[in-house]
Amino acid sequence: MLRYRSFELRLLAASLIIIVVGVLWIIPMYSLLAGSLKSLAEVQGTPVLSPPARPSLEAVRKVSLELRDPIINTVLIVVPVALVSTLLGSAAAYAIYRRMDRVSDTIMILIAIATYIPYHAILVPLINLIKGLGLYDTLPGIALALLVYYTPMAALLMVIFISAIPRFYIEAAMVDGAGDGRIYRRVVLPLLGPGITSTMIFILIMTWNNFFIPLMLSRGYEKYITLKIFSYVGQSGTLYNEMFAASLIGSLPPLIIFLAMGRYFIKGLQAFGGGVKG
Amino acid sequence: MYISNRVFLSFLLPVIVFSILLYYGILWNVYIATHDYSPLSKGENYIGFNGFKEVFSSSEFKGAFKRTIMWAGLLVVAGNTVGLLLAISIYQFESARMRNTLTTLFLYPLSLSLVVTGIIWRWLYDQYKGINVILDPVLGLNPSWLEGSNAFWSLVLTSIWVYAGFSAMIYLASFYNVDRSLVESAMIDGAGTLTILTRIVIPNSAQGFILSTIFLALFAIQMFDLPYSMLFLNPFTETMVMYIFSKFVSLYLYLASAAAIAVIAVSAVIVIPYALYGIRRWILRIA
Repeated sequence: MLRYRSFELRLLAASLIIIVVGVLWIIPMYSLLAGSLKSLAEVQGTPVLSPPARPSLEAVRKVSLELRDPIINTVLIVVPVALVSTLLGSAAAYAIYRRMDRVSDTIMILIAIATYIPYHAILVPLINLIKGLGLYDTLPGIALALLVYYTPMAALLMVIFISAIPRFYIEAAMVDGAGDGRIYRRVVLPLLGPGITSTMIFILIMTWNNFFIPLMLSRGYEKYITLKIFSYVGQSGTLYNEMFAASLIGSLPPLIIFLAMGRYFIKGLQAFGGGVKG
Repeated sequence: MYISNRVFLSFLLPVIVFSILLYYGILWNVYIATHDYSPLSKGENYIGFNGFKEVFSSSEFKGAFKRTIMWAGLLVVAGNTVGLLLAISIYQFESARMRNTLTTLFLYPLSLSLVVTGIIWRWLYDQYKGINVILDPVLGLNPSWLEGSNAFWSLVLTSIWVYAGFSAMIYLASFYNVDRSLVESAMIDGAGTLTILTRIVIPNSAQGFILSTIFLALFAIQMFDLPYSMLFLNPFTETMVMYIFSKFVSLYLYLASAAAIAVIAVSAVIVIPYALYGIRRWILRIA
């Protein structure tokens, strides 16, 4: 009887905490939606938290036209970056996994340090490099900078995922006389499927949301979605409906990926944060 | 398992090249910081440590440094507290689906750009149109969230909103990692869930605490997007990375690089021990 009551209390307390904190977590998303649907007439007088009296797509329509090009540019950058960095990272992870000695350990430690030192601190050299290549203010320039930074991160994540693969799969393939290229393509890559998806999705969301690198490597606001969203802060003044609509539309790709494939993003996040193996 | 050097290197080459570029960037900062790259000169003259002295004696950098370290401390304490509280609460639900749904709810801020987060909270903190609309009639509070030094605390609150879910996720992962047999034998001995949690699960989650602390601190050290998109370069919310940025924009590159080295040094204190011991032992489970 006592056990039963403590069980009830425990769940009640947990639910209460989750409801209270959860409301705080929902309010910003709710405000974003509510604000995006307000018309010019309504946004001037109403507080952020009030629901739109007459939901209107006025702001969304206006903004989505302006966001079209930056979104296309961003897709052209982040999709190749996520694909290439994950692929290169998985190859590196394979090499490290196969070797597992002092050399590969040292390399992995160096990769990890490069991943976790804030990239903001190498801003000056990075811009010099991109300018030196004649790529300042171009999409390939932004893509290259992102690739330089996110490939070691992809390698690190892939090492974590690959270390969950039992070694006998590879040993069996070696006994069958398969070379490394073949083992990597035919044995490791298929087994790494979820790890690859997680790494790719994680990098896709991270690069889409990156602000600092495109800010430093381009002029104006048209080349990257986060820059474009940011530009509304200055120009829209107190008309938060357009700012919110731009934020909402610009957040849809990562949000949809997160909601549809959250499992993979969370796995990537856990690997990034060292929480859980594979 | 044997792998030939040639194959080893060819698989690793791109990652090695990019990593070398990153290290090269770190070293290049040393070169720029010791040469007079400024709007007036082109870096022909070696200036030794004068740039560092200038940075560390400027009250602007001291403020930015203090703010960044304070931010890291506050985010570590509050992020861990809220994260642990959430993790414990989520852990109370038996169903995996419920746990996943709740984890997703508290993690979604991490899928948003910090620029978007900055814009939303900038409005929630608006004195007349923001959350004060509720706080004022209910609690009689009408704070000016973003005015003067208040802005820093408000930004810290928002960063907790962003990262507490991350901490909760790490704690949950370490709860799940606790040996099932320990939990089961305690249950056979008649221990309740709360006892199991406080006596077995939480004490065995030290690793979760370490990881959560490391990453919350790292997130705080690189804080830029959030304060910049909320308040631009505001003297009350300037962080170390923002100091680098503002010196870069005004073309005082040697000051930007000297400050960058400070950021690298502060993060290295956290990152290097983690990379040396943590990754092998905690992640790859190699003794």
